[in-house]
Parts: sequence; C-alpha cells; structure tokens
Amino acid sequence: MQIQYKPKRTWLATIFQVEILQGMALTLRRLFSRPITRQYPEEKPQIKTGFRGQHALVRDPATGLTKCVGCMRCAMVCPSRCIRIRSHKEKEQWNRRLIDDYRIEALRCVYCGYCVEVCPVNAIVLTEVFEYGAYDRQSIFFNLEQLLTNWDRFAAQMDQPVADYVNPFWRPRGLAEHTLPVGKRLAVTPEWSGEQQVVGRNWRQHHQPEKSCKEDVDV
Amino acid sequence: MHIIILLIEILALFALVMLHVAYATYFERKIIGHMQVRLGPMRVGWHGLLQPIADGIKSFFKEDIIPAGADRPTFVAAPIICLVAMLTSLAVLPLAKGWVLADIDIGLLFIFAMSSLASYGVVLAGWASNSKFSFLGGLRSMAQVISYEIAMGLSLVGVMLLSGSLNLSRIVEAQGDSILGMYLLPQCLGFFVFFISMLAETNRVPFDLPEAETELVSGYCTEYSGMRYAIFFMAEYIGMMVMAAIGTICFLGGWNGPFAVPFFPPLWFVLKVYLFLFIFIWIRATLPRYRYDQLMDLGWKLLIPLALVNLVLTACIKAMIG
Repeated sequence: MQIQYKPKRTWLATIFQVEILQGMALTLRRLFSRPITRQYPEEKPQIKTGFRGQHALVRDPATGLTKCVGCMRCAMVCPSRCIRIRSHKEKEQWNRRLIDDYRIEALRCVYCGYCVEVCPVNAIVLTEVFEYGAYDRQSIFFNLEQLLTNWDRFAAQMDQPVADYVNPFWRPRGLAEHTLPVGKRLAVTPEWSGEQQVVGRNWRQHHQPEKSCKEDVDV
Repeated sequence: MHIIILLIEILALFALVMLHVAYATYFERKIIGHMQVRLGPMRVGWHGLLQPIADGIKSFFKEDIIPAGADRPTFVAAPIICLVAMLTSLAVLPLAKGWVLADIDIGLLFIFAMSSLASYGVVLAGWASNSKFSFLGGLRSMAQVISYEIAMGLSLVGVMLLSGSLNLSRIVEAQGDSILGMYLLPQCLGFFVFFISMLAETNRVPFDLPEAETELVSGYCTEYSGMRYAIFFMAEYIGMMVMAAIGTICFLGGWNGPFAVPFFPPLWFVLKVYLFLFIFIWIRATLPRYRYDQLMDLGWKLLIPLALVNLVLTACIKAMIG
C-alpha cells in the first residue's frame, strides 16, 4: 500500500501558498467567534447532574449517623487508596459493624466516583460542591464528622427535599436492575438508566449548552 | 531654539512609540486570545486595558539578575544596543509630509544599517549570557539576519529604482496619492520577498528561531530578567513597527490615502502600520515555526533569486519605458 503523506498541489496552489491562506482564513474566522472562556469567580459553571465534587457521607435521617455499614468496598475499589475506614463489631445486638472513623484524603482523590457506585447502601456521595479549597491540609483530609458536615451543608443548599435526593452515581449505569443490591434499586432520571442513558456525544443533544458557548458547537 | 523644538519632538515621538509598544503587546495578546477562542487579558481595568501598564510596573520592579558566569559589560550593553538601534531608525520615518525628525537622503540605507546593528545586540546577548540556550539563540539570529538582510535589501532596490531616491519622503511622493501609484502593484514580487524577510528580520513567527520557546527556552533572552528583558521586548516591538513603517512607505504609499485628513495628516500612515502589525500577529496565531534548514533554504534558494529576478525585471522595464 502506498501512503501519500503530502497531497499533490498544482503549481498555482504552490505559488499562492493556498494552505497558508486557508490557515489564515481559519484563524480570522475564529477571531470573530465567541470565546469559550468563563470568567470564573464572577461567572460560575453550570453544574450538571452527576457532577463529582466534594465528598460527603449521607446522614441517615433515622439515626442521625452515617449509613455506612463498614463493608470496605469503597476502600477496596478506590484507585488512589485514599479511603481509610476504622470500625468495630457491635457484638450484643445484631452483630453489625459500627463506624469509628471514615477518612478521605481528598487531595489524593481522583474523583472517579467508583466508591459511590460500589457502595451498597448509598452512604458515600460526591456532592456538587467544588469550591472547597483551603490554606491547610487538615481541613481537606476529611474525617467522619467533616464528611457528615459536608453532607449537611450540601443538603441545606439543595432545592429538593433531602429524602427525594438520588445521586445518579448511586445507580451504576448499564447494569440490569436485578444485579444491583437492594439499596441501589432507585429510580434515577431516565437519562441515567437503561437505553436512554446519556453518555459521551449524546450529552450535547440532550442538554442545553451553557451560555458562554452558545454558538459554534457544530463547527 | 531649534534644538529645543527638536528635542521636544524627539521626546514626543519616543513617548508615542513607547505607548504603542505597550499597547501592541495588549493588542497582540487580545488578538491571539480571540483567535484561539479565548478572551486574552481581562482582569486589569476594563477588558484588561491597563494590563500593559501593570506589566511595565512589574518588570520595572522585578529583580535584575546577572548570571555569575556572564560577561557583565556586554550583558548590560546588549539590550541597550538593541533598543537604541531600533529607536534610532524611527528618526528617519516620515509619518506625513514634513512629519519627520531627520529627513536624510540615505533613509532606507540608514534603516538597514540600524536593523543590522540591532542584531548585534541579540548576538552579544547570546554570547554574554554564558548559557547554551542564549548562545544558540544568538547564533541563529546572526545567521538568520544575515541571510534575510540580503533578500530584503535586494527587494527594496526595485523600489529605489522606481522612485530614484533613497529618501523615504521622496519615495512616498514618487508613488503619488492614487491607489494605482502604489509600488505594491509594480513591485508585487518585491513586496512578497520584502514581506517574508520582514518577518524574518524581526524574529517573528514563523521565523522566531532565535527565541524558539519550545527548543531554546527563550533563546537569547533566557538569562535576562526584569527591565532588561523588557528592553529586548520593546526593541522587538519597535522593530516590528519600523518594518511595518518601511513596508507602508515603500509599497503602500505612505501617508497618502483616499482623501486627505485635515487635522491629523499621518492618519493613513498609522492605519497602514496597524494593518501590518495585525498581519504580524495574525501570522503568529496561525503558522508553526520553520525548521532551521528550511529557513535557510527559503532565504538563499528562493527569496534571494526572486529578489534578483525582480530587480532585473524592474530595471529592464524601467529602461524600456523611461
């Protein structure tokens, strides 16, 4: 097979350097297109469903404690190994595990969301909060109390009731209903379940593009 | 009395050019930003309008580092040579009829001399810094400027032949005030050669090998910091403006425009220079850097023969008609 790397040009195209002119025309066209820059502190990004931000442990409304059962799946699946869980067995009653401490080193986290997908009781969640920078590391190495407080803070600014909140990551996409643990069989918005799930390219067709990049999506 | 007026004129021109240099950087960053679908500077002042001033203050108060192994006097002198050579060539540029500091008869030659002298600054900077990047940058600059100086000189000989003068004001007057009188049409080959060697002379993309960021950190100004670096920057931008002015004067009819402007005669000249600057920036936003051997090939094997052909053709036609 012969591969032609350089397309053949006519002598006219060589004299007038058509490729250069094409390139110049392209940059000139871009000059008059709308910039996609977001002026961040003034102009916040529009957070979409399934955004993976600050970590939180859901506070169980019944007990006021975490829902975590200490199964260690999140710690096992975590690719950056940033989850440490300390728990003990409550021997007297139901032989269940009680969480002493749950630590996430948020600085090591890669925000893959595996822990959220794997959790059988929907205890851990990545909230939509993304502005939580700090001047010391202590406040970003979350422990159990901090993680619960993160949830409270997130729940307080949510516009829907906390009981109805379903993080789409609580239900891993592309898995049949019966293969999921009972706690994960939740009603997620259609675009996050089954055939209609919106991934990759379909995203743009299903969602209104943001204000700052209204035009030029097709170019 | 005459001297005082001249001094005031010099100061006015200097201030004006420095302001232009400052805002040329802003203009460049904005244009390139928008061409890359970004915004460019936005923070200092309305749409970043005060950015050049902030940059100036910053570079003025930055620490001035001279490397331990550097040749001190040469290191200090190099940016000044660059800037002085560039500033000197401003003196002979006619902004409008009679708006020229030194109306000398060898204007064009003087500008060539000064732009070659400026490359001494670059070469010395490369040599004095005692750093391999600077040295390579200086060497490249030397080779490049020498090669392209020839092509540029030859391309402008056609203009000299047509106008019969080296005096820049007289070159403009020889073109008349109609659009057909511009040397752009009869000298289109010369303009092509001039335009490319203009880019090379000012060390601009796609011929920015002396300061190729990707290979040489920052080329000859790698070891420079603070105000000295800023001086190199100013020299580069003044060089751009001088070259743009030469292009305007020799090929685009200088200060002549479609109609005369009553209170500000240099208007058309300034607009044409801005157009050139815009093209400089536009090319920078578009083209990648030439490889070194391609650069030399282009200079010696294409531009110089083309310029010679143009010269012979112009001379023959001029002899036949005139």
